[in-house]
Amino acid sequence: MATEALAADHLSKWYGSRPALADVSFRIDRGESVAYLGPNGAGKTTTLKLLSGLTRPTSGFARVLGIDPSGERDRALVGVGTLLETPGVPPFLTGADLLSYCARVRGVPVRERPDAVRRATDGLVAAESLRHPFGSLSTGVARRTLLASVLIGDPEILLLDEPTMGLDPAARSDLRKILRDLVRRGKTILLSTHLLEDVQEVCDRVLFLRDGVLVGDEPVQPTAGPTAGGSVRTVRLRFATPVTPESFASLARPSLRVVWEDPRQVLVFFLGGDPEQAELVAQTVRAGLTLIGVAVPEPDLARRYLEKVGREEAT
Amino acid sequence: MSGHARDLLNNAAWEVTRLRRSRRIWLLTIPLVAGPVGSAAAALYLKVPSVATAQVLGLLISGGLSALIVLDLTALAVGEDLALRTHLLTFALPQRRSAALAGRLLVVTGGALGSYAAGAGLAAWVAGQLVHGVSAAPPVLTPLHLYLGQFGLLVFLGGVVAAAAVVTRSASQALVAGVLAGVLAAGIASSFLLQHQLGPTFPVVLGGVGVVAWGWSLFEYGRLET
Repeated sequence: MATEALAADHLSKWYGSRPALADVSFRIDRGESVAYLGPNGAGKTTTLKLLSGLTRPTSGFARVLGIDPSGERDRALVGVGTLLETPGVPPFLTGADLLSYCARVRGVPVRERPDAVRRATDGLVAAESLRHPFGSLSTGVARRTLLASVLIGDPEILLLDEPTMGLDPAARSDLRKILRDLVRRGKTILLSTHLLEDVQEVCDRVLFLRDGVLVGDEPVQPTAGPTAGGSVRTVRLRFATPVTPESFASLARPSLRVVWEDPRQVLVFFLGGDPEQAELVAQTVRAGLTLIGVAVPEPDLARRYLEKVGREEAT
Repeated sequence: MSGHARDLLNNAAWEVTRLRRSRRIWLLTIPLVAGPVGSAAAALYLKVPSVATAQVLGLLISGGLSALIVLDLTALAVGEDLALRTHLLTFALPQRRSAALAGRLLVVTGGALGSYAAGAGLAAWVAGQLVHGVSAAPPVLTPLHLYLGQFGLLVFLGGVVAAAAVVTRSASQALVAGVLAGVLAAGIASSFLLQHQLGPTFPVVLGGVGVVAWGWSLFEYGRLET
């Protein structure tokens, strides 16, 4: 039975006479990766702040691993890594300083700190960059270092607010891969973002927020897809000649599903990202199928986003 | 070790790292050098008539510079993170915020007070070594009283700046508030001095106000909303 990781129970937050969040309720189970989508000012960051005890609700409750963060903030945050907005770090401090501080506060024993830092930065930040002051780092490296500081101590839950903001496309792709790995390792992720690509690659479920009101809670891929957990990618393959299910026998695996759109065109749902897509195409060619086109279909998510929250801010 | 003590020590170490990386830690050496130099200048250049007069000059120089240092370091320790929004990282860590701030204030205020204690003590000692004249007219202030009284001023300034930084969430605005508080304290002290009423009560009251302001800062810092 799934156990609750995060929950909002009729959560509301007012700033003066303006409601930032109005009666929002949801539950996120352990191991789920959930996107929080909505335009600027919809209340996404406010929700993350409420879940991490940085602000108190006007009414309702937040729960983190069963604990109310506004009441027992320190206990609730033990298993939570939070990256909110764009925190500044004094330019004279190094990444190593920041990570060492986070490790110390999270109670990582002195002997284990180098290993904890290495695990948190693996694939994110080069060891050399950690020795440089923040003031000399590029936006991307600084952002990755901040994310690494959140991963120190291996928190079970990650609350991430626009983690790929300010990164170039290659860095965004790398970061999405890291987030997918975290999902595979069983982390619970609540990802607030504007980027639908991030959502499609990282998340299983999406919550739509508009003007502080939750207007949708549904799977990222509502159509036929693999039953296993993890992030699902969809590609459309077009062939020169009709293909049959038997043609795909050599590609069969539990994390892949093929849906025929017409005899010469299929939609393939599979777990993974660019490397898995490249391997899928290579396997198709090796299987002797005359592949003439590979396309990422117009994301259904974009259409649903526009339906739920309106046209502005769609990415 | 209790959770509060652990959070306090972790953040004291963090503040030492910040002082070291920003090189602000060198500010703490200024009273150690300037106080004795002031006493020596009074003795050798101004040729003051008594040891006590040279000591008073050295103590005023040490105290004045320590006041500027406690203002600067406290304003930055509290206000810099709030202005840069570094607190979005540190507040989201599982630690007691009040204990965390106490650890950081312990380093900056403790460092400034320690620097003053050593610098002023050294200034008094240097004066004793260099001045040999004896004057019948004692200085307006007794060196020992001035030495102790300036601790009250430093605690007052530290507390006021910490409170101002929590309210304004800005190191620069807190610094301005601290300078104004220092000017006010100096003005009141001068007024008492002219009326020959400057006794131990005034610095004790200043120190008390500083301690209350510290306590308020720790309490409010723990309740800050982002």
